[in-house]
Amino acid sequence: MIHLLRAEWRKVTTTKLWWGMLLGAMALAALGVIAQIASNGVRGNVTPPLSSAATQRSIAASASSAYLFSVVVGIILITTEFRHFTSRPTFLIEPRRGLVIVAKLIVAALVGIIYGVACAALTAAIMAPWLGAMGITVHWVENGVLLSMLGDLVVIAIFAVVGIGVGVLVRNQIAAVIGALVYLFVLEPLIDIIPVVQNVYPYLPGAAAGAITGASRGNLARLDPLLGGLLLLGWGLLFAAFGWLLTIRRDIP
Amino acid sequence: MGTGVPGGSGLSPESTGIDGRIVATGLTKLFGEIKAVDGLSFSVEPGSVTGFLGPNGAGKTTTLRMILGLATPTSGTGTISGVTYAHLTDPGRTVGAVLEATSFHPGRTARNHLRVFCAAAGLPDKRADEVLEWVGLTQAARYPVRGFSLGMRQRLGLATALLGNPRVLLLDEPANGLDPEGIAWLRGLLRHFADVDGRTVLISSHVLSEVEQTVDRVVIIARGRLIYEGRLADLEGASAGVVVRTPTPDSLSTALVPLHAKVTPRADGSLAIVGATPEAVGRIAWEAHVELHELRAGSSSLEETFLRLTAEPSAPTEPPQ
Repeated sequence: MIHLLRAEWRKVTTTKLWWGMLLGAMALAALGVIAQIASNGVRGNVTPPLSSAATQRSIAASASSAYLFSVVVGIILITTEFRHFTSRPTFLIEPRRGLVIVAKLIVAALVGIIYGVACAALTAAIMAPWLGAMGITVHWVENGVLLSMLGDLVVIAIFAVVGIGVGVLVRNQIAAVIGALVYLFVLEPLIDIIPVVQNVYPYLPGAAAGAITGASRGNLARLDPLLGGLLLLGWGLLFAAFGWLLTIRRDIP
Repeated sequence: MGTGVPGGSGLSPESTGIDGRIVATGLTKLFGEIKAVDGLSFSVEPGSVTGFLGPNGAGKTTTLRMILGLATPTSGTGTISGVTYAHLTDPGRTVGAVLEATSFHPGRTARNHLRVFCAAAGLPDKRADEVLEWVGLTQAARYPVRGFSLGMRQRLGLATALLGNPRVLLLDEPANGLDPEGIAWLRGLLRHFADVDGRTVLISSHVLSEVEQTVDRVVIIARGRLIYEGRLADLEGASAGVVVRTPTPDSLSTALVPLHAKVTPRADGSLAIVGATPEAVGRIAWEAHVELHELRAGSSSLEETFLRLTAEPSAPTEPPQ
């Protein structure tokens, strides 16, 4: 297993994908944070002041939007094997396909954690001096800001695992990436506003991510963060199990 | 580990106590309604280079994928040293395979590509540099595969297959894209593997002439079925064939059935017979009282024989029952 982990880790670090996407993730996280701080207090913005705990948590939570990049990285890590047929030498050297997928899931989670840490750190690096310059103290622990950032990390890491599952299911790289993005940014918000099905919305992956960080979106009451976290972990495990099962059963292209 | 000449002492396979025989037994693969491989049985012996031949779409790659455990047969089995690929202990050091020279990430360098699989197989990283030297890619090691020619990709594919110093080599169209010098080099390497090291070497091709100077044995398939299996020399013996002209071709075809030769009508009305000698055909015609106007040895090349053996069947080629 340690051999497979090393091999999968090398696959990540020997192409430019991982740091290109990391820059993208950090840019998106920074954008959310900057937009929230800059727009606070602007006329028509009803958000509580920057000194309030709710707003500080919300700013920290906005970095979680970087999960967009981690899910895409997860998808690309696996679909690139099928696209360039590196799946062949991979499964020739280790025909126990389940082990290969487990190694890939672990490495994807690791990449996700790195993305999460980088985005959370960047959030803190923007928030602390900026609010400090305005004479506002960030109460990291008391206001739950740190917890919100931990939520970012969890969301971003789990979505990388979800990406592996999606990529196993839909092996076509472009279809898998577009499908995942359309689901997260079009389909799921639609479900949220359609009366008949909106009751299921809080249990979907995107909504669970929102529950973890406390980022508010949509109509219905969110799950509490811990429940949301367990739910998203469940989604991650479901996709992972799905990816594992499909890889064992289907032919390798 | 040896350097320079491929097949130096360092290239000898470790004696792993396996015989290295490849055996296909009734291999069948259905893709929906289509039978890509249809009850295919053959064996590949250690210490020889076997050509796995057939036109494009004959089912060669699908067969190799089933033997290598990448595709599950609809029925039948493929084994290496008596076990299915999934049951091999340490397959990375037992079997080396290349399925078309495309299994690379274009953005990864040749060296990093090999190092990924060194890690997976538990081999030291210096092994990557050794195989790069053997295939003559040391100069290109630090460049992304994106810029590699087809010939360079073939060499890198071979390098990947050689990483674990395997006893059994399966190479899909390895000569594709190699220049004449490269083909000669590959021939020498594969012959060394079989003759000196006693390894099992199976190479596929859709062009017989590409491999005829390299292989001892051939397994020829068409439309997923076995057409011929045996020594190349035997195929050559039979390949000259017989051309015969008779006013009653149907009677002659019927009489020839016990010979198990392939009878094909020619454009000028005569019959071409592959797999029989003129003497045998003459005797059968005489015994069956079939009038002959012409009987001579054909002059077809090995390649023509191959093409005829693997040609799409047309209605009149089968002798009437």
